[in-house]
Amino acid sequence: MFDFIIAGIEAPWMLLVLTGATVGMVGGFIGVGGGYMVTPALIVFGFPGYMASGIDMTHIAGKSVVATVRHRQLGNIDWVLGMAMVGGTMLGVEQGVRLLGLTKNWGLSGIILLTTSVVVMIGLFLYTQLETQAANKKADQMAKDGIKVGREVMTSKVPAFFQRISLYPIVRCRTARVIISMWVIVLVGAITGVLAGFLGVGGGFVRVPALIYIVGASTHIAVGTDLLEIVVSGGYGALRHSMMGNVDFVAVLFMIVGAMFGAQFGSIATSYVRGPAIRYILSYSLILATVGAFLRLAYMLTGSKYEFLSFFAVVFTLGEMFFLCFFIMSLVLFAVRYQKGKSVPDWIPSLVVKN
Amino acid sequence: MAKTKGTIKFVFWTAVSVGLFYYASLSYTSGQMASWYYYKAKTDGYAVHSAYFKKANKENPAILQIGKFDKIEGLQAVEVKKGDRLPINTDGIIDQKVLKEGKRAVLEGESIKVMVPIQIKESKGFKYKDSFKHKGVQTNPWSGAWNVVMVLSIGLALGLMAEGFTDIMGLKLSKIVHDH
Repeated sequence: MFDFIIAGIEAPWMLLVLTGATVGMVGGFIGVGGGYMVTPALIVFGFPGYMASGIDMTHIAGKSVVATVRHRQLGNIDWVLGMAMVGGTMLGVEQGVRLLGLTKNWGLSGIILLTTSVVVMIGLFLYTQLETQAANKKADQMAKDGIKVGREVMTSKVPAFFQRISLYPIVRCRTARVIISMWVIVLVGAITGVLAGFLGVGGGFVRVPALIYIVGASTHIAVGTDLLEIVVSGGYGALRHSMMGNVDFVAVLFMIVGAMFGAQFGSIATSYVRGPAIRYILSYSLILATVGAFLRLAYMLTGSKYEFLSFFAVVFTLGEMFFLCFFIMSLVLFAVRYQKGKSVPDWIPSLVVKN
Repeated sequence: MAKTKGTIKFVFWTAVSVGLFYYASLSYTSGQMASWYYYKAKTDGYAVHSAYFKKANKENPAILQIGKFDKIEGLQAVEVKKGDRLPINTDGIIDQKVLKEGKRAVLEGESIKVMVPIQIKESKGFKYKDSFKHKGVQTNPWSGAWNVVMVLSIGLALGLMAEGFTDIMGLKLSKIVHDH
């Protein structure tokens, strides 16, 4: 146990390191900050709610730098796309926070917040699952036909629609190989920013699918570019939280030590897999977080009478981190076996790269 | 050659990381971080150290002695106005409004009687303990900038240190070809 003087609690520092490591791994792999997983964990460890949010946001800023450095090395960052998005995101986050203030005045913020997150996450989960399954089938068919399957396989037609919008200025994102109106990028940033500000999270779980399915970036680029975006938005969030007195910096230090190892593994793991594998893990993370949010919503709607709902919400949220880490590690293990020509389950070849 | 470069990179960024962690821990142990955090009063009330009376209740209330102390030790309280620097060892302020309500704490001559130091509240579906700790405390805004600069610097140093490490280990990490 460690005595956190500023937070005013005693908490197990090893669990902070472990939380940092698990969320770092998931975040480095699917390109999200992981706020929807860390904040509940910190509350369970005994941190007050406002401090949990602040510590989470500050550690996300640092962790995202660690992951961004690695994704830069892997060539997964489109700097033009990332920087163009930042402005829209900032604008959106501010509007989202104001919207939250409005619902607070109506006395409904908790319920509206959880309902919105459940609806958004279920919608994203369903679309990502269906599209990724179609992409997997396409990859299998390509392999059967003797066509070389690339790093990315995607079936969505939505990006083509948005790329056809010829509103000046048009931006050429060389790394992402996308030519698109600047306004589409700014709008994507703004809308995902509103959701992020409203839900009180970094917004990666909305932004990564948006970069893939609206802008048309490949999954790897979406992951790397989103992490770059999180460095900026997370840094701003960390500043706001720190100035409001929501941060115990020592807790951040413990988490970032764990995050360094996790984010390294998660980022490097992306080089072993194809785009659909990342999208699968992203969609599973969404549905597991949704179950947690849904249980919390049920708990609140029943007047906080049924404690087991709150308990299972926490179990789901914490269990999610370990499940996703296990999933990522398994994928890498199978990818290595596949590369060495050893036997792997039938579903593996379409998800991992040969070399 | 690549390994030599990797070694230099690893050693340099490890030294930077260790330096940053050492500086951060020094700021913590010297009390600098706490003094930035518990900086000024955000409201009119009484500066206290809530840990000393966290076990008080309605049957056994804590009695805090009001005085002009530079450092709060034990059951003491110092009257502060909005914007005043907080005495050393303050961790929260009992607001004048709370005292007027008289439900959790009440002013009795030259002392404060605290009956409910902790209450259970709920946020986002989670229950949490709401105490006088952190209440009415304004953090030094520059500490926010310090936090951000430190966390980004540590992130960068750790990221580059890890990059150096994988270079030493000979782990081939080349740029991914995005062929969609």
